[in-house]
Amino acid sequence: MTSRRAPMPLLSAMAATLLLAAIAHLSWAPSGPGFSAVLAALFGDGDALDRQIVLQLRLPRLLVAVFGGASLGLAGTVMQASFRNPLASPDVVGTAAGSAFGGAVAIAAGYAASSVFAAPVAALFSAVLVTTLVFAFAGTGPRFSVAGLLLAGVALNTLVGALTTFVVTFTVDNYSASSSVLFWLMGGLDAQDWSKAAITLGGFCAFGLPLAVRSRQLDLLTLSEESAWSLGLDVVNARRWLLWFACGLTAATVANTGGITFLGLVVPHLARLLVGPAHRVLLPASALLGAVVLLLADLLCRGLPIANLRLGVVTSLLGAPYFLYLLARHRRGEAMR
Amino acid sequence: MTLSCTSVVVRHGARTVLAGVDVSLRPGELVLLAGRNGAGKSTLLRVLLGAQRPDQGEVALDAQPIGTFEATHRARRIAFVPQAAENPFEFTGRELVAMARHAHRGNFEKETERDRGAIACSLEVVDALSFCDRPVTTLSGGELRRIAIARALATEAPLMLLDEPLTNLDLEHAVSVAALLRLLADQGRGLLVAAHDLNLLAPVAHRCVLLHEGKVFADGPPEQVLRDEAIERVFSVRSSTPQGMFPREFRRLDKKG
Repeated sequence: MTSRRAPMPLLSAMAATLLLAAIAHLSWAPSGPGFSAVLAALFGDGDALDRQIVLQLRLPRLLVAVFGGASLGLAGTVMQASFRNPLASPDVVGTAAGSAFGGAVAIAAGYAASSVFAAPVAALFSAVLVTTLVFAFAGTGPRFSVAGLLLAGVALNTLVGALTTFVVTFTVDNYSASSSVLFWLMGGLDAQDWSKAAITLGGFCAFGLPLAVRSRQLDLLTLSEESAWSLGLDVVNARRWLLWFACGLTAATVANTGGITFLGLVVPHLARLLVGPAHRVLLPASALLGAVVLLLADLLCRGLPIANLRLGVVTSLLGAPYFLYLLARHRRGEAMR
Repeated sequence: MTLSCTSVVVRHGARTVLAGVDVSLRPGELVLLAGRNGAGKSTLLRVLLGAQRPDQGEVALDAQPIGTFEATHRARRIAFVPQAAENPFEFTGRELVAMARHAHRGNFEKETERDRGAIACSLEVVDALSFCDRPVTTLSGGELRRIAIARALATEAPLMLLDEPLTNLDLEHAVSVAALLRLLADQGRGLLVAAHDLNLLAPVAHRCVLLHEGKVFADGPPEQVLRDEAIERVFSVRSSTPQGMFPREFRRLDKKG
């Protein structure tokens, strides 16, 4: 049982944590400029090489991490409300796997090398396709079933995963292509640039910000379909729109970062634990926490003395045990937050 | 304001759930909708709510087809109380009741004094003020039912459809919810209550609609509708209490005799 605290101090604390994490992310790396050199570079002074590193490498990486993490946190929150199920997320429903497939095709075929938009557009296209398919199998109206939805998600996740592997096998003869696809699939924030940062930011603005006026729709969607309908919500339409937003958020992020698993599943739970389930506060909290978690995971990824440690591995190693803990609590009959 | 359906037919695959049903509901009356499990009570409520389109027949609110209403306009006229506790997340009772104001607010509008007044008033009517700020996951079945009724009241709709509002309640709570429903009708709301507990609801209802095999078996004052012959035909039980008296005592009908 929780008592509901005032939301503004909590959101402010999250924003302050995000700021601190961002400063740490900018200035803490195994090599290169430290805190004071970063500060100088940001204000246009300092060493030219340091400035290059900060402005062309670290700043885009920071932006992708912040807006990618925020996007995945929002996508998870939207999906859990839309499906009235605290276990739904872009990973479970197949949206993330769909995005990964589209991105993998674009990279393997070489389109991604010629245009920065190739991977995001392909990712968006296949994310919407997979999510729509899963949704179609789950049925609509009175025949809609959450269990059917999650099972269809399992089936399509497997299918799309197999197709992605199939795409990778095509590139095996070409070592550099296959290693770039594989590294991308494992998830990471290396090799970001301003165009990728702009795409992540654009995805967040286009699909994340419109959620602000839909927080009450999300609240209503957590009720049974008849209840939401009786309170004046066009359930089928609202859910469809919100899922498209979740697809957009996921695709714009995954296209640049590759497979970052469990973030969309775990962050909404963490946020609900702190601010409760009302979406007016839960949405900003999920976005802020998503950004903080991805920044910290990336810091860990860079800081640990393990060569080629991938971000997707770190988020899975952190997220999966937390998810199992949630399941165990659920089995003890406590509410899923 | 009258909500009515005429010649409504609903099929689920090969099975005909409703085979030509006519029902009406007006403000100020408490109507008991009775019938066996699977008689189509919940389906009829969904159809009247406009949430399910019937295969044949029409549903109209003041002669205007229910499907032509804008969602928020409809929501301000017909409220619904669902059967089950229904939320997987830890909303408080007050937050759940506040959702009723959706149809009164634009997407950008803040909660007004009128919204807050309607929410507080509804919580007071169902006597939920003492527990409405706790997460609903910590509430008992009776408390949850009161929150669900308060949410329907907070829409300020003159008509309410209720699905099994007494199920899973202990006697004390069941009796007090039944009395509350009658009070709401006396205050001018129209309530259509799908329920199994004839003994608790028939004495407070103005009218009873008995559904049997997809049709309206009888529609009228409870003491006339729930006569021995009708109860034997529809429920396969026999009453040993004199006609027209409640509570009635039921025995299972001996199929041979």
